[in-house]
Amino acid sequence: MAKAFGIITSSPEHKVAGMQDYRPIGAFSILGRYRVIDFPISNFSNSGIINLQVYISSKPRSLAAHIGTGRHYNINSKRGKLQLVFPVEEEFNQIYRTNIAALASNIDYIERQSQEYVVIAPSCMVFKQDFDALLQDHAESGSDITLLYHNVDDAKHGYSTCNELKLDGNRVKAIVPNLADEDNKAIFMETFVMKKALLLDLIKKAQATSSMYSLANIVNHLAGELDLRAVEHKGFFAPITSLKSYFFTQMRLSKYEIASELFTPDWPIYTRTSDSAPTRYFEGAKVVDSMISNGCKIKGTVEGSTIARGVEIAKGATVKNCVVLAYVKIGEGAYLENQVIDKYATIAPGRKIVADIEQPGYIKHSDKV
Amino acid sequence: MKQNEMLAMILAGGRGSRLHDLTNKVAKPAVAYGGKYRIVDFPLSNCANSGIDVVGVLTQYESVLLNSYVAKGGLWGLDTKDSGVFVLTPREKADAGLDVYRGTADAITQNIDFIDSYNPKYLLVLSGDHIYKMNYDKMLDCHKKAGAAATIAVMPVSMEEASRFGIMITDENDKIIDFEEKPAHPRSTLASMGIYIFDWQKLRAILVADKDDPDSAHDFGKTIIPTLLNAGETLVAFRFEGYWKDVGTIDSLWEANMDLLTDNNDLQLDDPSWKIYTEDANALPAYIGPDASIDVAYITQGCVIEGEVKHSVIFTGAKVGKGAKIIDSVLMPGVVVEDGAVVTRALVADNVKISKDAVVGSADSKEILLQAKDI
Repeated sequence: MAKAFGIITSSPEHKVAGMQDYRPIGAFSILGRYRVIDFPISNFSNSGIINLQVYISSKPRSLAAHIGTGRHYNINSKRGKLQLVFPVEEEFNQIYRTNIAALASNIDYIERQSQEYVVIAPSCMVFKQDFDALLQDHAESGSDITLLYHNVDDAKHGYSTCNELKLDGNRVKAIVPNLADEDNKAIFMETFVMKKALLLDLIKKAQATSSMYSLANIVNHLAGELDLRAVEHKGFFAPITSLKSYFFTQMRLSKYEIASELFTPDWPIYTRTSDSAPTRYFEGAKVVDSMISNGCKIKGTVEGSTIARGVEIAKGATVKNCVVLAYVKIGEGAYLENQVIDKYATIAPGRKIVADIEQPGYIKHSDKV
Repeated sequence: MKQNEMLAMILAGGRGSRLHDLTNKVAKPAVAYGGKYRIVDFPLSNCANSGIDVVGVLTQYESVLLNSYVAKGGLWGLDTKDSGVFVLTPREKADAGLDVYRGTADAITQNIDFIDSYNPKYLLVLSGDHIYKMNYDKMLDCHKKAGAAATIAVMPVSMEEASRFGIMITDENDKIIDFEEKPAHPRSTLASMGIYIFDWQKLRAILVADKDDPDSAHDFGKTIIPTLLNAGETLVAFRFEGYWKDVGTIDSLWEANMDLLTDNNDLQLDDPSWKIYTEDANALPAYIGPDASIDVAYITQGCVIEGEVKHSVIFTGAKVGKGAKIIDSVLMPGVVVEDGAVVTRALVADNVKISKDAVVGSADSKEILLQAKDI
């Protein structure tokens, strides 16, 4: 059994227009059958860290329903535990909704965990990481905190609500907001490894310093006193922090070579099954370059898209470069390009909705267009 | 249904030898069907959806895979308190030696102790190798209303087919007055589907009496039903309408898969009110490549399609390479068809590899080709 317990934070600082009105980012669908939160939970489960706290800040229904008892994450139901944690009270002002506020309101519950270390990971980022290896290295290094980052070369065009690490070798000098002033940056992956005792200390200090402080803020504040070690993450990395980043993450993953890098047999990504039947392709269907979940009925054309389960695409309809979420119905002859179409939406026959690929469109949950 | 009012026993011991190499290593109920299912998922899901809590699965032939599969009762939601799926293989007992199941009825007889431990009022006996959806609770209602000792599910078949089945001769109230096993000249077209509800105490008494009869076939159709009829017990027929298929041969298994491609298939695997549950594969959604072409197909998650698929059913994790063609065929789980290969009117067994540019099957073959080895 690992020496650490896990915390998955709710990342209240990121806002995804439209989509997030209906569920937290952790509950966003990835490739039709996964949710963003499946990645951190599977990372923990595969790392043998099976005592987990998942913090949910708002609209918990879909996330709670998806996670359930956690059995599908291969977490032993007797030895392990997957606990959903809700903040004690809703703050009236958005600025007070920090991850520190959520942790502080459950501080007794953090204190009670028997493990010496804690690994903290975000619920809004898609990546694979062996947290146990990270933990071993951290313990051997003797540092106070290990922080995970990813080197990117397009920080001017994304990661707008992310932080970057200012590095000196593998030492962290500061954690500052990405102001999109340069392309090459070490984007912070909101992943920390430290002792439980230090986390408790940081929560108290953060609250004493400013009620607007997040965990990253207090660590940055104390950068002069703490030994902060940075570890570079390699491989697929996608923070879901805007509609555009969500859209492009799905577009990237609809390519088999990219998806196969993230989904490998030695590191399974677990999810809840919906027991849908396979997908039926009818006469006249034309499907290329796409990822298609089960339970769909396809009579039209699908190109460069990800289609979630239970979607119906009528005859003569075209879906091009779209992210189509579950149970969407697309009418005969409709034409959709560069859209994120939320769950249960219905597109009327013959409708044409086209957006620029740089500014993908969004069609609301249960909307009738 | 009250908890454990009716217990289900699924007969899953048969080899299914007419499926040839497909059942060399697995029992027929474990054979894959419909992209993501195994045949035994149908009776098990029907039980779960009908509100049955305890299901015994009687296995015998090549049962390792089948046993480990059905033991995961949670797959069908049969893992709540006082509920479960139990694998029952022949076992050595204190008062009897180890004996294989000598017939369908003997399989039940050898597990009387198991059934008694739940003290059910009714026993549902099912076959593990039929594809259909049925609400057994409705059948139980019919059984109770008729005050029957046994209720047998029947469906109308054509006169030609009738000679292959156990045929029930009924009166105007669907009371069974006679029974004929595979008659040369059928007197009725109501075929037994091998689905029985018995009053457990009545059945138990007959099984105990039959146990030591050296001339008995220990079979429900040949022994138990005639015995009940001769004893003057009330037997009723429960008429079933809908899709039902005994996939006993390669041709019929292929056909049952092809049925999923037609509109008039009333199996309705996508009906959310009566789902068929199965083991979920940890796999990506189906990936359809840039040069793929799909025309009438049933494709499940984990598949990678880069070639052409026409009028075919593709099972979990199967891969179709660039320029490959799959026509009127069934690719079972894990099949790999390399670039340029052509598969026509064939059923390709689990994990078989069809190498580059190979040709399997032909459009004008009368029978469906079973490809069970790499080529």
